[in-house]
Amino acid sequence: MSNSDTIVEVRDLNVTFEMNRGQSRVVRDADLDVARNETLGIIGESGSGKSMLASSFLNAVVEPGVSTGEVTYHPDDGEPVSVLDLSESELNRFRWEEIAMVFQGAMSSFNPVTTIRTHFRETLQDHNRDIPAGMDRARELLESVYLDPDRILDSYAHELSGGMKQRALIALSLVLEPDVLVLDEPTAALDLLMQRSIVTLLRDLQAEYDLTLVFITHDLPLLTKLADRIAVMYAFNIVEIGTTDDLLYNASHPYTRALLDTTPDLNVPVEEMNIIEGSKPDPVDHIPGCSYHPRCPMADERCRSDDPPMMTVSNSHESACFYYDEADDAVTISAAPETRPASGQSAATDGGEN
Amino acid sequence: MQGNYLAKRIGQALLTFFATVTLTFVLYQMMPGGPEQALRNQILSQQMGSSNTINPEQIEQLVENYTNLESDAPIYVQYYQYMSSVFLEFDLGESLYSEDTVTSLLAERLPWSMLISVYAMVIGYSVSIVLGAVMAFKEKSRFDSVSSVVVIGLNSTPYYVAGILFIFFFSIRNNVFPTGGRYGLGIEPGFNPAFMQSIALHAALPILSMSVLGLGTALTMRGNSVRVLGEDYLRVAELRGLRNSRIATQYVGRNAILPMYTQFMIGIAGVLSSSVIVEEIFSYPGVGLLVYDAIQVRNYPVLMGSLIVFTLVTIVAILIADLTYGFIDPRISSGGNNE
Repeated sequence: MSNSDTIVEVRDLNVTFEMNRGQSRVVRDADLDVARNETLGIIGESGSGKSMLASSFLNAVVEPGVSTGEVTYHPDDGEPVSVLDLSESELNRFRWEEIAMVFQGAMSSFNPVTTIRTHFRETLQDHNRDIPAGMDRARELLESVYLDPDRILDSYAHELSGGMKQRALIALSLVLEPDVLVLDEPTAALDLLMQRSIVTLLRDLQAEYDLTLVFITHDLPLLTKLADRIAVMYAFNIVEIGTTDDLLYNASHPYTRALLDTTPDLNVPVEEMNIIEGSKPDPVDHIPGCSYHPRCPMADERCRSDDPPMMTVSNSHESACFYYDEADDAVTISAAPETRPASGQSAATDGGEN
Repeated sequence: MQGNYLAKRIGQALLTFFATVTLTFVLYQMMPGGPEQALRNQILSQQMGSSNTINPEQIEQLVENYTNLESDAPIYVQYYQYMSSVFLEFDLGESLYSEDTVTSLLAERLPWSMLISVYAMVIGYSVSIVLGAVMAFKEKSRFDSVSSVVVIGLNSTPYYVAGILFIFFFSIRNNVFPTGGRYGLGIEPGFNPAFMQSIALHAALPILSMSVLGLGTALTMRGNSVRVLGEDYLRVAELRGLRNSRIATQYVGRNAILPMYTQFMIGIAGVLSSSVIVEEIFSYPGVGLLVYDAIQVRNYPVLMGSLIVFTLVTIVAILIADLTYGFIDPRISSGGNNE
């Protein structure tokens, strides 16, 4: 990826929490480049640090967590912004205007005692925007997420369904015309149909408003329908990153391959479902060598002592494994498609258009 | 729906009021030494000292004049007569020991009680809301733990103990505030600065000691605020880059105070009933002192009358709280339709 087209650049990011039993490091030396106008999916199991990584884009790690390292935002025009060095008032301006975030608690993301209209209005007001023009935009946005503006704006959050709230929140997140939208499991509490319709909606919104989307989830099938590139997180760092096709058809990290193998399939009985043996590491522990070595079937002496750097698999594909080229033999994926289809994404989007 | 609910709720309030008055009337009647007997005893004991005797008929006549009751009538007739005079003629009877009607006694005293009760509530609740909010914002800090201990201590201290201590330190030791009364002697009542100042000085200590009553609310406010601070919508508000002042008032403040609204309204009743003791301590001639004196001499018509006023204020406050809750919290639709 070329540097000129990078919109968010993360270097040596660490997120730490001081706890009684020691320092908990929930993101460790992470590097990541988000390209302008792409959809980047971040996937990983619970507690792998993906939400913390994404929160750092807005320097919004919950207290008492501390983000250190560099997060640089490159606006369309103008100087790069070092997000972690912004003062509180600068940060208040930066948030939602440049990078907006929709996160997993969508069900309770609205102040229960004020109308949806108030949420739009106060956001515009506190960012010194023109309110009538902003409210017109709000109506437009609500329409583009298939909501009736007249009805929604005068409603209170408790009067809306989960899917409506989620869509209203997405509309709210775009009201200040941000360039980047971070979505932290935005579909977690929704039923399957609503999940699919939100994904379709996001794709349309991205095209319409020139957005860069960062989509965090642990739902791999969902991600393959939306993402241009996928980053896989394991144990507080990114272990593999590549285009969606790279990861689906040529996964080169044993963890990614194991993860693909565990994807549930309705045709397989529960007792035959695959699992990854072992458990994830404690964020307080220091892990010598490769973080995945205790669970990896390929692990050898080198893996136990040295931390593998990101190795280039192909132009668009990197993997943090010394033996990335042997991973496909060592970890097989039972339901894997044989060959990469000719036309990129379409094979993964079975029924994704509903 | 709306009208239905209103009518139903007002009906309930009237029924509660009626039941309370009835219950009190019955209780007073069942107490050993009811109003008539107390009055008879009073007259008889006055007789003892003097030589002239009054015959029993005259006593009965006197009793009847004073209490609006035919003392020999069966209880249901007495009840009917008292209730009809209260509800139909708005006549609460006369004090047993003076020529004043209960209504005029109450009307003269009530504004003074209102003065100290309203200020005590406003000050007590405002201080505790601000204190509770600050404690929540600085959760687990030294300020938080020290204030928690102080508030729990103050809340466990009965307000009358606080009142006595205030008198001791501020009036007797330091002479900053007067020990009692409504306003200084020899000051011309009216709309002049000296009179106003005197009223304020005299009301200060009773208000202060009654404010202590509301301080427990600080802990409730702290708890509510801590809960709201952990809510998702607060995090989203921060992510949206909203001004801190807006987050503090519209998000934390509003959502934390809401559950306490009804509690405030019920608190009015607590303040009124505590005025009985506070006004006695500060010899502040309000309704509370009237009640206290009436209990001492078993002045039943005055007791009944004051109780009716207290009940009325409480019921109206709760009624207002119920009817307005829907406006301040949109999640509560005004009843009726979800039954």
